[in-house]
Amino acid sequence: MRRLLLLLLTLWFTTNLLAVDATLKIEKDVEQRARIALVDGSAEHHEKFFDILLSDLKISGHFLADSQMHRGGFSDSFIDLKLKNRDYLLKYNLIADSGTKLYIRLLRASDGTELYKKSYSIPNSAKMPFVAHKAISDINAYLKYPDISWINRYVVFTRYTASKTSEIMLADYTFTYQKPIIRGGLNLFPKWADANQRTLYYTSYKGTLPTLYKIDIYTGKKSKIVSSEGMLVCSDVSKDYRKILLTMAPHGHADIYELDLSTGSKKRVTTFNGIDVSGKYVDDERSIVFVSNRLGYANVFRKGIDTPGVAPVVYHGRNNNACDTHDNRVVYSSRESSSSFGRNTFNLYLTSSRGGDTRPLTTTGSNQFPRFSSDGSVVLYIKQSGRGSAIGYINLASAQSLLFPVSINKIQSIDW
Amino acid sequence: MMKKIYISTIALLMFSGCAQNTPDVSGNMADANTLTSDTVTLDENNMFEDGSGMHYNSSSDGFASVYFDFDGYSIAPSMEKRVRHNAAKVQSVGSRQVKLEGNCDEFGTDEYNYALGLKRAKAVKDALADQGVDTSNVVMVSFGESSPVCNETTDDCYAQNRRVDLRLVR
Repeated sequence: MRRLLLLLLTLWFTTNLLAVDATLKIEKDVEQRARIALVDGSAEHHEKFFDILLSDLKISGHFLADSQMHRGGFSDSFIDLKLKNRDYLLKYNLIADSGTKLYIRLLRASDGTELYKKSYSIPNSAKMPFVAHKAISDINAYLKYPDISWINRYVVFTRYTASKTSEIMLADYTFTYQKPIIRGGLNLFPKWADANQRTLYYTSYKGTLPTLYKIDIYTGKKSKIVSSEGMLVCSDVSKDYRKILLTMAPHGHADIYELDLSTGSKKRVTTFNGIDVSGKYVDDERSIVFVSNRLGYANVFRKGIDTPGVAPVVYHGRNNNACDTHDNRVVYSSRESSSSFGRNTFNLYLTSSRGGDTRPLTTTGSNQFPRFSSDGSVVLYIKQSGRGSAIGYINLASAQSLLFPVSINKIQSIDW
Repeated sequence: MMKKIYISTIALLMFSGCAQNTPDVSGNMADANTLTSDTVTLDENNMFEDGSGMHYNSSSDGFASVYFDFDGYSIAPSMEKRVRHNAAKVQSVGSRQVKLEGNCDEFGTDEYNYALGLKRAKAVKDALADQGVDTSNVVMVSFGESSPVCNETTDDCYAQNRRVDLRLVR
């Protein structure tokens, strides 16, 4: 009886204690990260702003930040005795009455030497999170750590608002800032169209046929790219932004095409009489990775753009229906429970375009819509669990992960 | 023994007292047992008789929606009456364009669900062609999971969303 009890206890501990995201297990680099404390010198304390600064420092993977907020004078170089064992102090003064103004000073904690200072000002107070992101990415760059400027980028996503109705939204990476940019009808699959995030592609369902448009998000100027019966999605954009991968269906089933934007010529890349979607460039854009049901279930495959051979990239799971790529790395979501309905377990995996070096990135909940950051160092995803929805980030180098709860009803598509 | 009789007597008196104060609820419409879930609102214009009874129909202009299995896009034998009905209807509208709208339940993500909806629309278009219909005026579009007709978390509800709706292009 005692052995049985011991066995049951062991099983319980094994299943519960191991049921955490794999990304949380690595702590070996703790001593290599710079210890930093945030000191708020603002007249009025802004807790949300402090939380954003803290998130930025954590997800960078380069800082070990105090989660406790400290108060102190902004202009002086006084270092509290208890903070002297940190590497750096970041003093800041936030003024958020009309617009947002931020002043920052980076001090060496041991002697109070000022290493760096800068001020920021934007008229729109709603964009306050971007000020925090810019400040932390500037400090990160000053200290010559690997680039984290991806935290300054917009995330663009579509959310359903009613039947056949959606909104395309802009957000900062924490989703603290959110703004609708395209409303009215069904508008889907936004995809950034240039490096500076001035323009994006999206699919409009306003006419009889789905139509791909390119829109300037600052002027509203838009131009029609192409229409297709059935469905039309811009799945990926080449590094020079001159070519795009489309999922189109002129023959009644989804295939992947490459459109040369300068010449207007279209090349059909896949010809399967089933479902081929989500084409993403790999191998210096000579090949694509895509999702297909050619084996009877959704899985990830690779194919040369000009060669006919198709090879599977993933060799496990019975439903791997979403993927993204950066250079030759592939991240995909895999359904790992067999319930046809209800909440299923979807986990994210990282692999190569040749299918090697596969490792799990998550182990619990429903994790979908994986997207690499522009530099490939971080993976964004949407997590659904019993506690609600969250947007998640996994820093692949430092194994840091962060979740930001979101109250968005249903996200249709996302890009950043 | 006497103590037990005493307690029993007290208890009987107490409960009999309670019973006298309880209102008679038999036949009372406020009785919780008679309260059920909300009633339906039928729109006779949106119903279709397919041999197994009258069913809600999200198509319009006299067409009948065609339903599919989970993650499937082949026409089930139970849908053949609907396909025959739609074939006759397409032929009756002459040169008017007919739109087939493929739809899915919420259990799919991103592009794959839209492609699945499209395969369902294509399956209906092919079935119409098999019935001898000229499908040159038939256009297809997939709405993926964006157009549910039912939002409850039941299998029956999800099944209503895995469908192809037909309507005239306006």
